[in-house]
Amino acid sequence: MHSFGYRANALLTLAVTILAIMCAVASFSDTFNSPSPTAEIKVVNIHRFQKLSNGNDEVAMVLNISADLQSLFTWNTKQVFAFVAAEYETHKHVLNQLSLWDTIIQSKEKAKFSVSISNKYRFTDQGSNLRGKEFNLTLHWHVMPKTGKMFADKIVLSGYRLPEQYR
Amino acid sequence: MAWVRDQIDAVKSIQIRQLLIQAVSLGMIVTSALIIWKALMCFTGSESPVVVVLSGSMEPGFKRGDILFLHMSKDPIRAGEIVVFNVDGREIPIVHRVIKVHERKDTGEVDVLTKGDNNYGDDRLLYAHGQQWLQRHHIMGRAVGFLPYVGWVTIIMTEKPMIKYLLIGALGLLVITSKD
Amino acid sequence: MDWQGQKVAEQWMQIFLLVSAAVAFVTGYVIGSFQLMVLIYAGGVVLTALIIIPNWPWYNRHPLNWLDSSEADKHPKPQPVVNSGNKKKNNKQK
Repeated sequence: MHSFGYRANALLTLAVTILAIMCAVASFSDTFNSPSPTAEIKVVNIHRFQKLSNGNDEVAMVLNISADLQSLFTWNTKQVFAFVAAEYETHKHVLNQLSLWDTIIQSKEKAKFSVSISNKYRFTDQGSNLRGKEFNLTLHWHVMPKTGKMFADKIVLSGYRLPEQYR
Repeated sequence: MAWVRDQIDAVKSIQIRQLLIQAVSLGMIVTSALIIWKALMCFTGSESPVVVVLSGSMEPGFKRGDILFLHMSKDPIRAGEIVVFNVDGREIPIVHRVIKVHERKDTGEVDVLTKGDNNYGDDRLLYAHGQQWLQRHHIMGRAVGFLPYVGWVTIIMTEKPMIKYLLIGALGLLVITSKD
Repeated sequence: MDWQGQKVAEQWMQIFLLVSAAVAFVTGYVIGSFQLMVLIYAGGVVLTALIIIPNWPWYNRHPLNWLDSSEADKHPKPQPVVNSGNKKKNNKQK
């Protein structure tokens, strides 16, 4: 601690170390938050259901999504990325996950919402297995912290079925 | 004359010893950095455990200059995960979110489609010509942790090499001249 | 800065930084604002820098009392190697 530079260096080193520890503890404090989000999704209308020229089935639908993700927000939350995915199994694929719609929520006030939307990304199968297919609609969320560990979870809503005929 | 020669020899030997000590301590710094990096590679199973975000395509989640910690496990890739992938014919890895997954029953192979949160469309335009899906071998890891701003150091250094050389020179001078 | 001052400065630095970190974390957590935590901590660091880095007078209250040079000459250092050169010098001083 004998010189100006030495003191400045020591101060900076200790300050940055403590800041890193604070960030780590802040990230750790997220684990005490046990969120209880709720979600409800309705298929309002399937307005297109066809076989494309390359042989893949495509669906276009209108969804009604209402969800309450407010409990996900803590002081270390920068944003919550929420998306709805259709998930189903076919004889060729163990799992098909197709994101239909997503949103970025940046504040707790906006985390409770109810929207009617048509699918933002194409609902296309690899093949033509969608007639009469049962599928799940899953609301996933991905919490991005200000620093530290990211975490994700989902609510699975099952029991949806596509029509037997193209339309 | 013998006394003078002794003195000169003593001075010479001191300088060589000092120089050796400096060289060894410099080597220690470099090797310990290498050890930390390799250890991280072992723990995370990813060939580059830490990446710096270079574009704004994942804003507002990840901004330019943020640091991501990657993890590469055997777990299957699922929609919603943020993955780092290499496209054939491109050097710089891309950090984007998975939006579609098709996992085959017989081989277990996956077809993955990604998209940047801040981009309008999916990533098919970024992939190699005619490539529709990413496979497992394109993916370097998934992002598990996040640290803001720290990556700016490396961005500045790669974009303004003068600063890098200045910094290295200054550090080298400091190491050579300092006497502990 | 004297020896005592250096010791005090180091201790103060550690105490001030830890206290400001604790205060910042608790306030940030209670109010629920990460930004506030960072701001309070940054303030603490700047304050600590102002207290620690300049050579304030209160770090110089224990000056070392060096021996007077004339005093030092009366007690010559012990000479481990006695050779002809040193003998000459000693003779001159007598």
